[in-house]
Amino acid sequence: MSEILFRPTEDQILEQEVRRHVAVTTWDKLISMLDPVYNWGRSNSVWPLQFGLACCAIEMICTAASRFDIARFGAELFRASPRQADLMIVSGTVTKKMVPMIVRLYNQMPEPKYLISMGACASAGGPFKEGYNVVSGIDKFLPVDVYIPGCPPTPQALLNGLITLQEKIHGQKISTARWYSEGPGQEVPVPLLGPDLIDTRRNQEIKEICALPEPAKPAVLPSYITAPKLTPTEAEGASAAAVALAARLNKAVGDGSVTLSGSALLVTPASLQAVASYLKLQPDLKLNYLTNLTCVDYQDCFEVVYHLQSLPGTGAPLALKVRADKTDPRVPTVMGIWPGADFQEREVFDMFGVRFEGHPNLKRILMWDGFHGYPLRKDYLEAYYEAPGKIFPSRWKEGHHQRAEEKARFGDNLKYPNGFDPALFQPAKESFAAGTPAVADGIRTDDLVINLGPQHPSTHGVFRMKIRVDGERILALEPVMGYMHRNHEKIGERNNYLMIFPYTDRLDYICSMGNNFGYALAVEKLLNVKPTERAEYIRVIMAELTRIVSHFWAVGFLLNDLGAFFTPALYAIEERELILDLFEMASGSRMMCNYFRFGGVAADLPAEFLPMAKALVNDRIPKAIELMDNYLAKNEILLNRCRGVGVLPKDAAIAYSAAGPVLRASGVSYDLRKADPYSIYDRFDFDVPTAQEGDVYARYRVRIAEMWESLKILRKALAEIPAGEIQAGKKLWNIRVPAGESYGRVENPKGELGYYIVSDGTDHPYRYHVRAPSFINLTALEKMCKGHLVADVVAILGSIDIVLGETDR
Amino acid sequence: MKIYGLELLRGLGITMGRFIATYTVGFKRTFVNRNRGSFRQSASEKGVFTVQYPEERLKPPERFRVLPVLIYDGKKGDTRTQQAERCTSCGICAKVCPPQCIWIVQAKDAAGKAIPKAAEFSIDTDVCMNCGFCAEFCPFDAIKMDHDFELSNGERHQSHIFDINKLHVSTEYYAETHPIAWAEEQARKKADAERKAAAAAAAAAAAKKAAETPPQ
Repeated sequence: MSEILFRPTEDQILEQEVRRHVAVTTWDKLISMLDPVYNWGRSNSVWPLQFGLACCAIEMICTAASRFDIARFGAELFRASPRQADLMIVSGTVTKKMVPMIVRLYNQMPEPKYLISMGACASAGGPFKEGYNVVSGIDKFLPVDVYIPGCPPTPQALLNGLITLQEKIHGQKISTARWYSEGPGQEVPVPLLGPDLIDTRRNQEIKEICALPEPAKPAVLPSYITAPKLTPTEAEGASAAAVALAARLNKAVGDGSVTLSGSALLVTPASLQAVASYLKLQPDLKLNYLTNLTCVDYQDCFEVVYHLQSLPGTGAPLALKVRADKTDPRVPTVMGIWPGADFQEREVFDMFGVRFEGHPNLKRILMWDGFHGYPLRKDYLEAYYEAPGKIFPSRWKEGHHQRAEEKARFGDNLKYPNGFDPALFQPAKESFAAGTPAVADGIRTDDLVINLGPQHPSTHGVFRMKIRVDGERILALEPVMGYMHRNHEKIGERNNYLMIFPYTDRLDYICSMGNNFGYALAVEKLLNVKPTERAEYIRVIMAELTRIVSHFWAVGFLLNDLGAFFTPALYAIEERELILDLFEMASGSRMMCNYFRFGGVAADLPAEFLPMAKALVNDRIPKAIELMDNYLAKNEILLNRCRGVGVLPKDAAIAYSAAGPVLRASGVSYDLRKADPYSIYDRFDFDVPTAQEGDVYARYRVRIAEMWESLKILRKALAEIPAGEIQAGKKLWNIRVPAGESYGRVENPKGELGYYIVSDGTDHPYRYHVRAPSFINLTALEKMCKGHLVADVVAILGSIDIVLGETDR
Repeated sequence: MKIYGLELLRGLGITMGRFIATYTVGFKRTFVNRNRGSFRQSASEKGVFTVQYPEERLKPPERFRVLPVLIYDGKKGDTRTQQAERCTSCGICAKVCPPQCIWIVQAKDAAGKAIPKAAEFSIDTDVCMNCGFCAEFCPFDAIKMDHDFELSNGERHQSHIFDINKLHVSTEYYAETHPIAWAEEQARKKADAERKAAAAAAAAAAAKKAAETPPQ
């Protein structure tokens, strides 16, 4: 009955037939059929931005190199321009000074864009979280797609993150994709650099908090010690030579201008310049090389410390000290005597607020102009300040996990002066001496200011140069740094002595073993501990392997800078991978070895270490150096680009405090392994290679020659390494170091790496300063670049071989 | 007269040679010395081979360290009891941690008295620097560095704080990742036990002797 009543009409039958035999679907369903193809294509051609911040970036480069080969995922096209990139890999510590550039780069990337936060630092600040210049996670500003934990994540971990991202892309739909549905993409407002980082989205909130009365100071503040007492005679602890020198200076410069503190000369500020030029000019003293310049904040004064050396010469440096008033610290500059004091004085001004009178360009160097406070003063407390020294009591017994943000006043790593209103803040204009218009061939020309970096493929990290050019010739160049200033020294002064080891790994992250070495020496001097015989050999083996790794890296990336993109670099870092295997099997990590301990090393060499190391040193590495040299040394393009470029004459190299291969390539035979021998280097027979030309090519030749010398040392060390203990005495986790000061230094691949430590007898250093070769070698950069072409700047910078972790610390 | 470009050609020749070698050496590796899965390259092999991650991966050396894990005595998949946990919440790992990323709450018994166990144990993996001090200085072999590096995910605020449950692995798992250290630990414990037993036996014998000899 019902069948008859509801018999379908012909139309309905037709429709049913059509449905049955012809594919009909909705528009959305049709589009979604395209999704797999669309996503397959996109996920296998993710082009990352060529952008690296810190240590993680080195692992990112290794991921692109032969062993891990990111090309297998279609992601090998690292694009130098954000406009061509799909993926931003935030690889390393995001500092406040750098975050405006990162946001700007992200804004310039077209949709669809993705962001991988690589490593603990990028995700939440990592081990540097407590630092005053570190952003607690890039996700505070930019949306993150994938987080990769690890410090640093290994290349395989990065690939794992990339696969995770590809899976995410596979889950996306054309119909709901935000880049098709939402109109023009919303730009993230670029944060400003005021008294602290200003996120303009939080202006109102910050204003309100700043209007509240200042919270009470933390219960326990860092304590001061007073400056070391005077020791005018031998009986009170000064050395005979120092007493004699002080007497001589008093006679020459004026009575009462020099006293002694320990064996250091204590000079009055008024007579500093006279004493300094006397020390430099007297032919028997000839202290022409300012090794290190730093400052200590004591209760009664700021003490500026100069370490002086006579080059070429041997022996320990002479310490010179000047004490400045606490309320208005002023010291005359020594730039006229040692131009190498330039950046170091600026650093002291930046960190302590000591004004160097007569310095031509005294402004902040690591932080930005306008930053509020002098961070290395003892009374400067960071936003995340918890206690004057680690161990923090909140961690144990009742250690309920709590993020540092939850306790901070602004809910983040921020600190503004009271009453501050971010809405009224006007960012300062950057200054650079204006060029003078000139007339050439009847045409009025103007100088042009070019900005290189901090995001640039050839700046070896986040380094920036402001260059004034006339046509293509460089008239003036000003390095701008601090984009990776991770507050190493401030954190170091809170760490106990052992804890500093893994932080030193992250200074020059290509050479972590060498960094460990210098620090161990500095503290061992105070502890008066001598490592065991086997440990000494292991240390030398590790340090020399590190030198080979670093020089390979330097040579490969110099070629990168010259435009031979990646092929020479790939060849150069092949052997590095195998040396990193050695580091990994001995210490547990490819890059962040954390292998040295006071009086020894962390663990004995595993059984397979020596056979592998011998095979590398006797067979593979010599072949690789030879191949590299055959490949490059006489190449006409390389010669034309490098010879006569960036010349640093011998006298200038000494005056500008250059160190390492840069100094030796200018004809100064000065290598701490010979000049001030440490560990067991006096037992090895090796030469100090030098070159006379002082140009980019000479630096290249010196590095290659140094690798051969390292192989000599390694062959002997590997053959002679004795059996025995690897640790002198008991290994302690919370060691107290006798009061005093020490300056320990090693010849790192980049140059003299020094650690200046002032101990007050507790378990953490009162003052901890790193003399970073990458930082000080840059002092002469302008001198090397002037008159050359813009294209030569990257070659010159590449030949200095900087690592930003060390430059900015 | 100097002919320009000869050295350039030589360089190109080297690149060409390496290009050909990728086939000759690679062929041998692919078809003769097949070792898919987990491996490490020896120094005698030519060049550097691409690890075909994720199909194959570098064999982690035993000391390889990523994030710390806590150890309990037992097999994989066992129900973990507080008894089996090795951690005594002595706090040395939290104290020696350079970025201070370990947080421990000491357990208390019903009477509120502290007992040598951890009630809460958190590691902020976004602060951890993988330095391995916690494992190196733990007196109870309770915290070790894990090899697992495949940790990437899309969220950090909840998932990157590892709590006591997430951190614990069994001794069986640890023995697999760290065979040498595990064997050393067992040998050390055995020697300790033997020494203790010998000392106890000697003490008992001495006591017996003292009891037998009449006081003079």
